[in-house]
Amino acid sequence: MTSPLLAVQDLEVWFDLPHGDTLHAVRRVSFSVERGERFGLVGESGCGKTTTILALMGLLPPTATVSGRVLLEGEDILEDGETSVRPHRWTDISMIFQGAMNALNPVQTVGAQIVEAMELHGIAEGADAKSQAGQLLEMVGIAPDRLDRYPHEFSGGMRQRAAIAMALACEPKVLLADEPTTALDVMVQAQILLLLERLSQELGLTVILVTHDLPVVAEVCGRAAVMYGGEIAEVGPVDTLYHDSRHPYTRLLFAAVPDPTGEEEVVSIPGAPPRLDRPIVGCPFQPRCDRAFEPCPTEQPRLIALGADHQAACHLNDPAFRAVS
Amino acid sequence: MSAVIQEEPGVLEGATEGRRRSTIWQILKDRPSTLVGLGVLGFFILVAGLAPHIAPYGAHTQVGAPFAPPSPKHPLGLDDGGIDMLSLLMYGARASLLVGFGATAIALLVGGSVGILAGYYGGRTEGILMRITDYFLVIPDVPLMIVIAAIWGQSLLHIILIIGFLLWTWTARVIRAQVKSVRERVYVKRARALGAGNGRTIFRHVLPQIAPLLVASIVLTIAVAIFDETALAYLGLSDPSVISWGKLIKNASDAAAVSAGAWWAIVPPGLCVAVLILSCTLIGQVLEDALNPRLRASYLAARGFRIRRVAREEG
Amino acid sequence: MRGADYVIKRTIFAVVTVFVALTINFIIFRAAPGSAVSNLARVPGATHALRAELEHEFGLDKPKLQQYFIYLGQLAHGNLGVSFASQQPVSHELLQALGNTIPMVLLGTLFAIGFGTFTGILAAYRRGTAVDKASVSTGLFFYSLPTQWLGLMLLLIFAGTLPSGGRVDAFLFNPTPLQHILDVLKHMLLPSLTLGLVLYGEYTLITRSAMLETLGEDYILTARAKGLSDRRIVTRHAFRNAMLPITTLIALSLGYIVAGSILIERVFSWPGIGQAVYYSVQNRDYPMLQGAFLLLTLSVVFFNYVADLLYFKLDPRIRE
Repeated sequence: MTSPLLAVQDLEVWFDLPHGDTLHAVRRVSFSVERGERFGLVGESGCGKTTTILALMGLLPPTATVSGRVLLEGEDILEDGETSVRPHRWTDISMIFQGAMNALNPVQTVGAQIVEAMELHGIAEGADAKSQAGQLLEMVGIAPDRLDRYPHEFSGGMRQRAAIAMALACEPKVLLADEPTTALDVMVQAQILLLLERLSQELGLTVILVTHDLPVVAEVCGRAAVMYGGEIAEVGPVDTLYHDSRHPYTRLLFAAVPDPTGEEEVVSIPGAPPRLDRPIVGCPFQPRCDRAFEPCPTEQPRLIALGADHQAACHLNDPAFRAVS
Repeated sequence: MSAVIQEEPGVLEGATEGRRRSTIWQILKDRPSTLVGLGVLGFFILVAGLAPHIAPYGAHTQVGAPFAPPSPKHPLGLDDGGIDMLSLLMYGARASLLVGFGATAIALLVGGSVGILAGYYGGRTEGILMRITDYFLVIPDVPLMIVIAAIWGQSLLHIILIIGFLLWTWTARVIRAQVKSVRERVYVKRARALGAGNGRTIFRHVLPQIAPLLVASIVLTIAVAIFDETALAYLGLSDPSVISWGKLIKNASDAAAVSAGAWWAIVPPGLCVAVLILSCTLIGQVLEDALNPRLRASYLAARGFRIRRVAREEG
Repeated sequence: MRGADYVIKRTIFAVVTVFVALTINFIIFRAAPGSAVSNLARVPGATHALRAELEHEFGLDKPKLQQYFIYLGQLAHGNLGVSFASQQPVSHELLQALGNTIPMVLLGTLFAIGFGTFTGILAAYRRGTAVDKASVSTGLFFYSLPTQWLGLMLLLIFAGTLPSGGRVDAFLFNPTPLQHILDVLKHMLLPSLTLGLVLYGEYTLITRSAMLETLGEDYILTARAKGLSDRRIVTRHAFRNAMLPITTLIALSLGYIVAGSILIERVFSWPGIGQAVYYSVQNRDYPMLQGAFLLLTLSVVFFNYVADLLYFKLDPRIRE
């Protein structure tokens, strides 16, 4: 396997705002994911993590402008926008959403929604599709006879399971999971994560897990990227990020205790994330950083390789500046 | 080390709240069509107020032949009684606007009180008030207005009262839903916990929050009230001694302006009503849309996102 | 089951509403001081004999509460009294008028539903574009026109091309059935168009905002992620959900349309229920007015009930 399964290169996303303003939501994001890998994308809300994975599937609104490349087995699927990305949706990359509260259409049965995906992509039809959909439900731990039920008859956890079953309908290579456990209670959260991990192992499925919840990443993922202000601050194996972080933000983030109610992400790092509708000069984290020094307010840090599989964007790692400090 | 900003998340929240308070003006300012609407509304109010001073002729003085076409002296021609149309329009604005604002004031008073009481107190109060509202909603308002106007007799005051008392239900529903959601917000709960009385809480904390929707509901009610006035006038149920736009349409229609081809007697009053209603609807609709959080996001649009092929354009 | 509960609840509400409507009717026409029937002296051309007969028929010599039960009893037998003007039973007159109103209203409403929902969907899908702005402006424009004035404008425009009023051409002698139908249709065109245009504006705006609300739902994003075509997302997912508020609002408006047709029927002298209301007001024909008003109220209650049942049919969340 010479090329990675999925490689994101220099991804940038801008949103048009009223009055001609622009919000630069994702800035020069690059990372790659191997087959069967479970990769985490972590950060506070508004750091651009959800926008990043929506961009991977071309699911951005018309106010968005995208540049950069998303290489799926070497093919740039974003090259022609909607046209080039649509054939890959669900067959190669599928997605599950936050809490699955409304991700399922309330007026269609769960079965019909799974079958719809299969029929559309020519996986199976009619009774055959229905029996396959039943097997999928079974695989995620739902009795197959519940195919004919409506989403509102399912509990939150079951809805998310059904959404996962639907996401697997076309045997995708990559599953994007956007905060899949928020809005679920703790017990159910653990079950869903366990399910994702098991499916990834059994099916050789690549999972990209977007979350603000660090323990979740630690539990499920092998590698992760920490995003801040639309950029990747640090990327590497989760172990390394935990124990040998080379970015002050990662360190503060991992030291911070998540809010016990789990409702809002109250991370006790003082200050607020930068405003992305204005140009950022220097390091985006600099105003909140307790280790900021001379170059930080003016020089933008680049990702610097610190090991075979570990990169961080912080001037503290730059030998050129370290001499000064 | 001083680079760390010690900022509470709550400070940010407070900032958004402050922003919310000025929303009416901000929403209107951002949308040129509503400014046009406000301008038109202001213009008509001005004309109505100044009618006796700026009208070129009297509202009852015959100045030429019946249905005389537009001329330099009479830019909108004359009506079936030979009265200057432009002057009639100016005088007509008075009654139409009076009905619009008067009836709305009544609707607002009744509907607003019912809505606030129901939404704020909840429980049984709400149940009873809303059940009454439900029954009122089922009564077709135009026929009821006709029946009442026919039975009670036709005066301007009656018309205002009738329209006002039939339009309150809608305001009540809008306001109730709003008050209910505002009541659950933190600062209202806090105000109550700190011992603020119900009246104080409603006027200091709840009303300012629902103001934008209240304004939307007011302008939309004005539109409906003016519309209803023309309907009653057209059916011959308006005050016989008062000139209104609805009455002008009715008179022209009765005097066979259509078959006489005297469009100038019938087009302008209807156009005035239409423009006024359009202005109110524009303002109201825009406010409602802007305040509806469910309209903000859209996951499907005809146009896709754009691709920028220049990989990097800033350093 | 919860579903059955819902149907029973709505049915009870409809029945209770009918009684409230009947009672309001009674109060307005008989119980209120100076109200219509109790003041029979105002009946034009009433002789002593007629007055006595009416007094006996309405039971005006009896206490109010007893009058109320007499009134309910008469309604139960379909007896709405006799029209002062035509000396015909009110129920008979009303049925005839209703028979004229319904086809005219139906034609206009179908036009409005067809075009209104179509442009509403298109506007929502093309939100923010010129198509959207044009649809909204057109919708707002027609919505803002006073109904009777729009009718008069159409009369001005189509003067000479289309008949200006009435239901049939009085000079068309012994028409074949086909000629008759074409004649009626020709007369129906302008009133129906007036109604259609006014409603078109309303329905476009309703559909657009209902569609915009559903297009913002998470399951639309899911549908896009599934790789569905825009057409399929709009029809199968968005519109199917938007239909809930749209059908409710349309069904509700249908109830008021019958009432709203008063103005249109007046403009085009269409001999329907609206015209009947107008003439009964002119002639102080209270039995007729009361009957017509009752009919209009019942039509609102009826369509309200239809809306409730449709909702039940369309939304599985209520069924369960």
